[in-house]
Amino acid sequence: MPDPKTLLENKPGKRALLLGNEAIARGILEAGIGVVTTYPGTPASEIGDAVSAIAREAGVYMEYSVNEIVAVEVAGGAANCGVRALSAMKHVGLNVAADALTTLAYVGVRGGMVVVAADDPECYSSQNEQDSRFYAWFSNIPCLEPSNPQEAKDMVAYAVEISEKLELPVILRTTTRVSHTRAPVVFGKLVKLNLKGEFVRDAKRLVMVPANSRPRHDVLLQKMEKAREMAEASPYNLIARRGKNREYGVISSSSAYNYTMEAIELLGLDADILKLGMTHPLPERMIGQFLREHDKVIVVEELEPYLELHVKAIAKDQAPETEVYGKIGRQYFPRSGELSPRRVLEGLSAITGRKALVNFENLDKRYAEVVRELPPRPPVLCPGCPHRASFYAIRKVAGEKAVYPTDIGCYALGYAPPLNVGDILICMGSGVGTAQGISKATEAPTIAIIGDSTFFHAGVPRLLNAIYNKHRIVVAVLDNMTTAMTGHQPHPGTGLTGMQTATEPIAIEKVAEGCGVKLVKVVNPFNFKEAENTLKEALDFPETSLIVFRAPCALLLLREKRRKDLEIVPLKVSGKCTNCLACIKLLGCPAITLTENKTVAINENLCVGCGLCAYICPYKAIEPAKQCRGGNA
Amino acid sequence: MKAFNMVLAGVGGQGILLAAEILGTAAIKERLDVRVSEVHGMAQRGGAVVSMVRIGENVLSPLVLDGNADVILGFEPMETLRNAKYASEKTLIIMGDEQISPPALTLRGESYPRIDEILEKLKRFSKNVIMVEALRLAKEAGSSLVQNVVLLGALIATGKTPIKKESLVEALKELVPAKYLDMNMKAFELGYQYVKNLGS
Repeated sequence: MPDPKTLLENKPGKRALLLGNEAIARGILEAGIGVVTTYPGTPASEIGDAVSAIAREAGVYMEYSVNEIVAVEVAGGAANCGVRALSAMKHVGLNVAADALTTLAYVGVRGGMVVVAADDPECYSSQNEQDSRFYAWFSNIPCLEPSNPQEAKDMVAYAVEISEKLELPVILRTTTRVSHTRAPVVFGKLVKLNLKGEFVRDAKRLVMVPANSRPRHDVLLQKMEKAREMAEASPYNLIARRGKNREYGVISSSSAYNYTMEAIELLGLDADILKLGMTHPLPERMIGQFLREHDKVIVVEELEPYLELHVKAIAKDQAPETEVYGKIGRQYFPRSGELSPRRVLEGLSAITGRKALVNFENLDKRYAEVVRELPPRPPVLCPGCPHRASFYAIRKVAGEKAVYPTDIGCYALGYAPPLNVGDILICMGSGVGTAQGISKATEAPTIAIIGDSTFFHAGVPRLLNAIYNKHRIVVAVLDNMTTAMTGHQPHPGTGLTGMQTATEPIAIEKVAEGCGVKLVKVVNPFNFKEAENTLKEALDFPETSLIVFRAPCALLLLREKRRKDLEIVPLKVSGKCTNCLACIKLLGCPAITLTENKTVAINENLCVGCGLCAYICPYKAIEPAKQCRGGNA
Repeated sequence: MKAFNMVLAGVGGQGILLAAEILGTAAIKERLDVRVSEVHGMAQRGGAVVSMVRIGENVLSPLVLDGNADVILGFEPMETLRNAKYASEKTLIIMGDEQISPPALTLRGESYPRIDEILEKLKRFSKNVIMVEALRLAKEAGSSLVQNVVLLGALIATGKTPIKKESLVEALKELVPAKYLDMNMKAFELGYQYVKNLGS
């Protein structure tokens, strides 16, 4: 990460290598946005992190909200007082925010408001790969799609401009390959922001009871007509390339546009490209004209055929003779997973009959041979992760018979062998929710797994439901004292705000007690025996119980030790080892491996000395690799 | 200039993203256009990590087309092999030697494959493979954590990239925490000299 202070430099024309998300953070400063709210989620997390690092100096108010709907409501409240606001989240975060956002479209805004939705084609770090553009469509909210970091930055100010003209929030939709691509970004001017707003009473516009909502729906539809005219004139909807004889027309947006441009050059296609940066509402006249200019039009887009649906509808009215190729009917591009240079190249080849220079068949054949033997390497819990200790205790005590609904966070990785804790996973908070139905339907011991940040985000209403309806479940809160998976952001339990100031931390156990849980316990999962005994007690309890397994994230602990120059003493396998493989078969720690002679060894570069393997070793054959110099308790 | 394509592959935690960012920043210092693709979040947790760096005029895609890498910089042998689909016979493969067993393999009761087997398979794609004792050199510099910079030194020493040594060192100074700069500079030099000495 470049020094976040770089983003504060008032040097128009400066060129810096920024991640798409860092570019959006710079865009926030160039658009005069005063309020930024977010809940961390890959691939959106670095927007909030970059703003958080400079918020005080920039004079921006920034918060890590408890969840996405709160984030949108806080931003929407500020925007309705005339203060510019932005709210950033991942695509599934938009599901959480949708209840507010869809009606905020009726209410509208006065100061510009931007909602960044970061989609994750290929599910690099998500439970689904939904296409957020449909939210824009069905909520009647304008949508912008940058294709690179420079556009991601520039479009923030553009979104604010549209938002204020229309008095509507605007969705800025990125994908992983925009949010997580680094590219040169040229800075613009910083704009003085305004954090002083004013609330003006206007119940007809602001209070959405049915009598007020009905007329606001029509107002919204009128705004969309204005937005359509803006799309026709938008500098981001343009012919990006002209061929010679216009053999093909290609329509594309976002990440797909980059692959398309390069593939067309590689194939030597005679094609014009219509690049769309404002994709809701679509510029229907511009698209109609493009359709009439070409006999064959190819739509290249990631995920759902959102553009293609609209292009085909426009074609039916305006250019019925033009052939449109994409994913509907005959499928030339995949509808699931992310696009890649190769997938686009192959799709274009299939449509045009032009061949690529690379002999993919031969390459695939050779590659298949070499990777057949290659084991997969999915993400795993880090060495020393406290969740591994919690899962070991949970599985040891509750066993095979129990059901383990789990949740979103690092601890989702506990479902994999050998820990095998995690039976159903849907969305933030769903572990506690599904547990109640499962325990009702089966009477099996049911232990819901949830993380600390997730507990605050989505756990509380589900917990209330369990208590009030007397569902017999154990809620295991795996509290590593941070939002770990997305990069260690604060949450209400940490005592730190997005402004990097101290605040009163909220204790999960106190929340649980306040909600009415009658058995609430806090244990350190590295106190192995105590953790096991506490869980036994909870399993015997006839109503809802809650245990907080609390120990800091291993990565945070490691960083802190390095910062303080404390020694990290790894463990080693001694001569007592009988090679029973219990440590491997029970824990799946990445630091424990087998040597060439199939004997157990501990990788000293990975081991952090947590001691879980030493505890479970039946022969007490695991010990510290050396005496520590002290100060490393 | 035609795009110069690099694929960096290894295991989450090996410093791949930082290495990619250093390369990208060095490219900017040379006024070149560049795209760097990264992977964050769950995908990083000890899982396979790939980052791509493309340098040149008119680069748009942050991803490299299969069979089109000019360089594969492997931080871990198995992960280098996993990304062989980006190689052609012209590709230069530079590979560090830190072997990190995937837990899935250990669970099956298997040990890490022999390094000469991996090399043999890699050479079916390209004969230009340079093995670097990255782990030993990193420890010599002061910590196993600076293997990434050892490998950058090795890469720059080959002279195959459009990036000058000076630009890379400048980028290193900009991105590495001041506290660890000396260690990183040493790591870079050790990697650089390692490859230079191979040629003599």
